[in-house]
Amino acid sequence: MRHLYDGVPDILAEIETRAPDTSDHLAETARIVDLHHPRRLALTVAEVIVETPTTRTFRLRRADGEDLPPFLAGQYVGVFTDGTSRPLAISSSPARLDHYDLTVRRVPGGRISNHLIDTLAAGDQVTTTGPMGTFHHNPLFHGEDVVFLAGGSGVAPAMSMIRDIVDHGLDRRFHLLYGSRDEQDIIFRDELDRIAAGRPRIRIDHVIGDLLTAGTIRDLAGPLEGRMVYVCGPQALYPYALEQLTALGHARRRVRFEANGAPARPEEQAHWPAGVDPVEEVIVTAGGRSFRSPRGRPLLDALEDHGIRPEAACRSGECSLCRVRVVKGRVHTAEEARLRLSDERFGYTHSCVAYPLTDLDLDL
Amino acid sequence: MSDFDAIVIGAGNAGLSAAATLQRAGARTLLVERHNVPGGCATSFRRGRYEFEVALHQLSGVGLEGQAFSLRGLFDSLGVGDKLEFVQEHDLYRFKVPGQVDVTLPADRAAAIETLEEAFPGNRSRVEKFLDLVSNVTILQIAAMRGTSPEQIDPVLFRYGLRPSKDVLDEHFDDPGLKAALGVYWTYLGQPPSKLAFQDLALTLFAYLEFKPWHIRGGSQAMSTAILDSFLAAGGQVRFNTAVSAILTEGGQVLGVRLDDGAEVIAPDVVSNASLPITYGMLENMDVPAAVRDDLATRRIGVSGFALHMGLDATPAELGFTTSTTFVNLDTDDDRIHASWHSLEPARGVCVSSYDVAPIGFAPAGATHVSLVTLQYAHAWDGVPPSDYHRAKFAYAQTLLDVVEHVAPGIRDAIEEVDVATPRTMARYLGHPGGAIYGYDQDRTEGWLFRDSERRPHVPGLHLAGSWAGMGGFQPTLEAGARVARRLMRRKESVR
Repeated sequence: MRHLYDGVPDILAEIETRAPDTSDHLAETARIVDLHHPRRLALTVAEVIVETPTTRTFRLRRADGEDLPPFLAGQYVGVFTDGTSRPLAISSSPARLDHYDLTVRRVPGGRISNHLIDTLAAGDQVTTTGPMGTFHHNPLFHGEDVVFLAGGSGVAPAMSMIRDIVDHGLDRRFHLLYGSRDEQDIIFRDELDRIAAGRPRIRIDHVIGDLLTAGTIRDLAGPLEGRMVYVCGPQALYPYALEQLTALGHARRRVRFEANGAPARPEEQAHWPAGVDPVEEVIVTAGGRSFRSPRGRPLLDALEDHGIRPEAACRSGECSLCRVRVVKGRVHTAEEARLRLSDERFGYTHSCVAYPLTDLDLDL
Repeated sequence: MSDFDAIVIGAGNAGLSAAATLQRAGARTLLVERHNVPGGCATSFRRGRYEFEVALHQLSGVGLEGQAFSLRGLFDSLGVGDKLEFVQEHDLYRFKVPGQVDVTLPADRAAAIETLEEAFPGNRSRVEKFLDLVSNVTILQIAAMRGTSPEQIDPVLFRYGLRPSKDVLDEHFDDPGLKAALGVYWTYLGQPPSKLAFQDLALTLFAYLEFKPWHIRGGSQAMSTAILDSFLAAGGQVRFNTAVSAILTEGGQVLGVRLDDGAEVIAPDVVSNASLPITYGMLENMDVPAAVRDDLATRRIGVSGFALHMGLDATPAELGFTTSTTFVNLDTDDDRIHASWHSLEPARGVCVSSYDVAPIGFAPAGATHVSLVTLQYAHAWDGVPPSDYHRAKFAYAQTLLDVVEHVAPGIRDAIEEVDVATPRTMARYLGHPGGAIYGYDQDRTEGWLFRDSERRPHVPGLHLAGSWAGMGGFQPTLEAGARVARRLMRRKESVR
């Protein structure tokens, strides 16, 4: 048939005369993907920095000393340890890619943060994800005048954002309102004060032993209109900060919250069914195994308790990597879950913020 | 002893339609996908109050209920016909060249002719003649592809089919604005009219005019998830977060695959929805057949894209979006636009998809989800060091917003969420060389008259389905997967 078409000899001649493409596309594609988004990073703890009595910074490097993937200040890596993973914000500068600093604070009952502080030492190997997350300055709409409300170790991403401004010479106004329990709990104090001293566009206010009330925010930060407000800290800070900002008339869309983990008390959410006991155990069947787990424990943690490791990163309902299909039974999917519109119809949920209400069959 | 009758690599459009077709025909099938959700391009993600459609701009071929030869038949055969809610777009697109052209083409032949006559007076008969040619060439090409004997085919196909689309537009029209307005679907194919075979442009225009442009409620993810659901309901098995690292062979014949956890899975047939260079690059224990090597060496890794996925805190009307699809080009020089895709010079043309003119359910009431896309080759980013990547990405994104300000002035003030994807993002999520979104560059050297990868993979047991072995886009790849699967089943039957 082809010979009947006009133009065929020209096209055949073009094919004939093309320089052959001899690239190794398999290797080159893998290289480009790994440059930015490696599935895993094998890192070494180069140094453990004592920040405060309860806080350590783990400086991670590649074994070969090569640069790590670029990240946006505010992003996190998932750290795999002790049969589970945690998203930890990078506190170092995005201008310095020879290392990532992860700043971890001891918290009462914080299994993984305490485990890291107690066991991780210089020379140890750590496996992480690549950098991820949407909690970062976005120049397309955040503007160049921003406010950051931090509580405790929630200052880690703010530190990275400030280092970004300094190292890249950005013309951005950054006002950090940093709440700490007491003076000795303040992380990065010297560096923060030193940076702010010579730079009128970077302001640091410490709020010690007190809440970041609407009045405090207004008095320290001034009018918020048009400014982006970032919030990162302990879980309780989020609803509280939103309330204070709302009281000040600040638009919800000008507030960015860092992902803050699965709700510890899902039974307090309005759509938790009445009279269902979160402590009572149900039977979860997944990956060819069945086990008992309390209703109030997120499915992802329950699976990990029993040696099943779905892919996971944010553990806060956002990234969807831990998405699973509920084949039988009913779950409570927390408000935090950012499900796709089609998920509910076909029975999918995000296991990090989903709780088994009945006996369950899951497809991983 | 085989673990499965067939393994499908990749849950993109063609991978999904192949897997569902195989399993529903009784072949025990394993579907392997490196990401955690099905769809490949046909997916979505969440930011804040919004869900973002990643790739589906206008689904062609759906047609009205009862219309013959439509994609509805395929969806029925995949078992998802009653699970999808189609949302019709009533216009093909608004095409704007600031200060020169601003025309909205209805998705109806007669109304489109009326509209064009109003915008470009005195061209009615030329437009009619052109659209007749579009129909004729399309219907004849389909007949030819289906094996109708040449003497029964009107030679108009042979005169026009492979001519550059630009020649055919020049032959019919003088007004550069009119030519650009009728040819703008070239950006859905990735090659400018000067390099695009007329039969390819005609097919695209015909598919939308005749079968209307559609969206899907819940986005393309709803379609991908539905097809996967149908596959699973038929007994198929899927592995997410799992990549295939090698295609195993023995004696020149496919034996199975090795997964990234080292496990080997045995099956006599492997359908690859991955790109051709990656598929053949993964062959283990055999050389790439010379015929394949020579063929692939003369094909060019296709264009990728640069996209802004946006959640806007205003209605489409408030923003200035009057149609679901708007093309804004800075001028009518398509070759100049295409040339710009090779570098990071400011964007010269943007396709805007506004998913709330006819809502698909991705934005809350009073708000709008839009995507802004310009095509771009991955090598435009070669000179950008990783440390400068994010700055360069946002800087380039600003140039798309600059272009879109011509139809939606003030769009920046309404931004509530925005995420930016570069060709490197496409490479990450698709695994394709160059982050190519339509497979190889679909110039005149591509197409069924010159390339035959789908029918002749040259490795027994290997089957190729997707944009790299045929035409790119949703309709062609959905159809390709089902076609390849049916062919595979016929072969299995005949062996038995």
